[in-house]
Amino acid sequence: MTEQAQLLPGTLDLLILKAASLGPLHGYGILLRIEQITHGALLAEQGALYPALSRLEHQGLLNSEWGTSDNNRRAKFYRLTTSGRRRLREETQSWNRLVMAIGAALGAKPQEG
Amino acid sequence: MFAQLRSLWKALWNRTQMESELGDEMSFHLESRAQDLLRSGLSREDAYRRARIEFGSTVSYREKVRETHGVTWLEDFAQDLRYGWRVLRKNPGFGAVAVLTMALGIGANTAIFSVVYAVVLKPLPYADSEQLFNVFEARPQEGVTGAGWSYVNFAELRQKNHVFSEMAGNQSHQLTLTGRGAPSVVNASVVTPELLSLFGEKPLVGRVFFSEDGKPGAAPVAVLSENLWRSSFGADPNIIGSSINLDKRSFTVIGIMPAAFRFPQLTESEQVWIPLVQDPLFGGWMDRRAGHWLRVTGRLKAGVSMAQAQAELDAVSVRLAKEFPAENDGWAIRMVPLQQMIVGKLKSPLLVLLGAVGLVLLIACANIANLLLTRATSRAREIAVRTALGAGRTRIVRQLLSEATVLGLFGGVTGIVLAYWSVHGLSSLLPSNFPRTNAIRVDNVVLGFALLLSVGASVAFGLAPALFAAKANLQTNLREGGVRSGESGGYRRARSFLAAGEIALAMVLLVAAGLLLRSFANLVSVSPGFNAQHIVKADISLPQFQYSKAQQWSAFSDELLARIQAQPGMQDSAVAVPRPIVDGFINLAFDIVGSPAASSSASRTVNYVSVSPEYFHVMGIPQLSGRSFDRRDVMSSPHVTLVSKTMARLYFPNQDPLGKQLTVAFPFDNGAPREIVGVVDDVRDVALGQAPGPMMYVPYDQAPFWGANLVVKSGLSPSSVAITIRQEVRKMDKDLPVTDVAMMPEVIETTVAQPRFGASLLGLFAGLALVLAGTGIFGVISYSVSQRTREIGIRMALGAQRENVLKQVLQEGAQLAAVGLALGLAGSLGVTRLLASLLFGVNPADPLTFGVVAVILAMVALAASYIPARRATRVDPIVALRYE
Repeated sequence: MTEQAQLLPGTLDLLILKAASLGPLHGYGILLRIEQITHGALLAEQGALYPALSRLEHQGLLNSEWGTSDNNRRAKFYRLTTSGRRRLREETQSWNRLVMAIGAALGAKPQEG
Repeated sequence: MFAQLRSLWKALWNRTQMESELGDEMSFHLESRAQDLLRSGLSREDAYRRARIEFGSTVSYREKVRETHGVTWLEDFAQDLRYGWRVLRKNPGFGAVAVLTMALGIGANTAIFSVVYAVVLKPLPYADSEQLFNVFEARPQEGVTGAGWSYVNFAELRQKNHVFSEMAGNQSHQLTLTGRGAPSVVNASVVTPELLSLFGEKPLVGRVFFSEDGKPGAAPVAVLSENLWRSSFGADPNIIGSSINLDKRSFTVIGIMPAAFRFPQLTESEQVWIPLVQDPLFGGWMDRRAGHWLRVTGRLKAGVSMAQAQAELDAVSVRLAKEFPAENDGWAIRMVPLQQMIVGKLKSPLLVLLGAVGLVLLIACANIANLLLTRATSRAREIAVRTALGAGRTRIVRQLLSEATVLGLFGGVTGIVLAYWSVHGLSSLLPSNFPRTNAIRVDNVVLGFALLLSVGASVAFGLAPALFAAKANLQTNLREGGVRSGESGGYRRARSFLAAGEIALAMVLLVAAGLLLRSFANLVSVSPGFNAQHIVKADISLPQFQYSKAQQWSAFSDELLARIQAQPGMQDSAVAVPRPIVDGFINLAFDIVGSPAASSSASRTVNYVSVSPEYFHVMGIPQLSGRSFDRRDVMSSPHVTLVSKTMARLYFPNQDPLGKQLTVAFPFDNGAPREIVGVVDDVRDVALGQAPGPMMYVPYDQAPFWGANLVVKSGLSPSSVAITIRQEVRKMDKDLPVTDVAMMPEVIETTVAQPRFGASLLGLFAGLALVLAGTGIFGVISYSVSQRTREIGIRMALGAQRENVLKQVLQEGAQLAAVGLALGLAGSLGVTRLLASLLFGVNPADPLTFGVVAVILAMVALAASYIPARRATRVDPIVALRYE
């Protein structure tokens, strides 16, 4: 149906943390923010966001409170905690290392490319 | 407990709140998405539809969110349990049947396990009891085992061995306690001084023996058991240091052992311990190297293996045989864990019972599994709906298993209550000579066993139905409602298999019970070779410090017999040591004068009995040849003996034993030959179940004992006979107690109490199994009939005869029974071989038992099928066709 790329498995948590780091957001807002910062990469199903949110909240990386959305509806807003911020930093670094390592690995065999 | 309940409540409460918040959150998401889509130009309907598709299943994401909470498993379980409880409450009939079936199974298992655990498995109540061993002598070539030691050999072994940190010897007999109230008889344990400290048990008050107490010439001292101290001395706090009279000799009490300490008999609670050297009987035997009477217990040094210890014992026995061949040649030394020695013989009968009751539980499980399978069929639609709503397969299995667990736990708890009640009754049913019955109770270990068993059984009967249900075809079940067409062949096969399995298991149990019952019947109907009817037995033990000479002993019994005889109503009386079956036996080596002496490693043995002349008449033992004893056979007259038929056959084949002479190694005979003057018929003297061996009788006046073991024949009631005996004894010596007065037949019956107990319990279990298996078949057939009501209706509408319908249903039952019986036959043949050692006079593959059992089971199966079959014939075609 769509040509858009899907999120790499395992990256959802990282992207949620990144999205929430830019300011408190409700679930749907996080989805939109992720689409925005990934230039349109999609979740297979949007519902998959919620188990991830719940997990991150359970781990203390996010906290949440109920507030009012732009369209004046009650919504649950997620905010990055201090440890969430630290985790985002660590994950970003290790992600970057991974990307560099994979890039290097792929670059090492130009004849294959 | 309350804190746990509160936190559970809070979790459940919070959970409702969290659930509703999650719902709000998701619907906000869907709404916002739909609004965005609407703005991008979709129609309202399409926007909402698209939002839902993009989101995926809210049900399954809710489930996944729940899982992230970590406690889901527990919550699900709690939910399932609540659900299971609701389901049970909705079907109280089903619930009651299942819980009751389960309770019977768990209860019976728990009760039997409590006995097995307390008697056989639980370590003995001594410190580091696994290091305690019984060390005994044996003559391997002759199959003699478990013999005792001479004190001299024991003392040498104790001093010179390097493998036991301590060793002690003991013997038991009875002593007369006088001086406080009526004379009474106490169980005396005659011990070497190390015995009490060997077990690491501290006295309640005072001290245990020092090694000086065991030396010749030491002052006589005694240690009392707490129970004896309470019952005979009114718990006198000043007892330590005071003196008591045992067999008319004064002993100073030095200590009291706590009631929990019991040795050598775990059954005896009232006893006195005295040093061996002070004992009127065994004390005199201490300096002889011959004889095998001292029981020896040793505590193995830490780190020494049994094999190392046995190697050292072997070396000792070789050395003894070399240095003192006359006494020790042919004897070996063996050791066995004390626990095995005390309860080893009970292990296999008890394990048979545990196995049997385990089979009952299996049948119960099969029954409940069948009920659950039946219900799972009718619940197929409900399960299909739950699956469609996003419940995973494992979740469904878990739910059904949880429901089974609810059943199992209810049954288990009810069963434990049943066990609590029955354990008391059970321990009073146990034969009185059963050791450690006082330890039988439902304790933590038993409770743990019961709970484990309940959960295990729940899984056993819950798993198959759960797996079947989870595998069921979703679409068919949703569409068709599942009640009729959802009944797959798999279900039916599973149910039939379970029902046939129940029959098979029931057959194994019934055969086992039948064999044990036949064996028991054989045992009690076997003729012991004497007539115990109307015979009263009574024991009088003569204090040996006062009655120290053999002449006094024979004079006492002669006078007592004459006095009893003179009383009205007493038909005849005699003394005999030992009396058959009730007293045990004395086995002695003997030689035939004039025939080559048997080599010491293959000496001949005979069971030796000393009797007064009237004995054979009182007991009804027929004289086969020669003469009997009479009053002229006294110490000064030529020594004579009577031999049994088997003795004559074994040692005097094809010759007349009359006139031949024997020598026996009995102290009073001093190797003097005895002439055989007659042959009497055989008697089972060891046990009802043991064929008669060679026996010899000697006149009591030529070989008296320090007491009178009476047999009195009388038509009067046992109590009036007892009164007469007591009265006459008191006239002779007011300080002599008369003990163990009982009817011979009753005492003999107590010797078969154990097989009786085993056979009756197994019979009970088999009966239970029969009922359960019958119910199982009934359930299967009746369900099958109800499933086929429509089919039967159509057939009847088309003109099928009632008899045909009846026959068809009965056939179904017969098929189940046939498969079950075939399986059961194979199983029984395998299992009953394990029973062989418990059987008397019946073949483990006894065709009669097998046949009768098969017929009974077949009849029960047919009867159980007949009821639903009858119902099938009453099906009204019109109603049947409208059905559904």
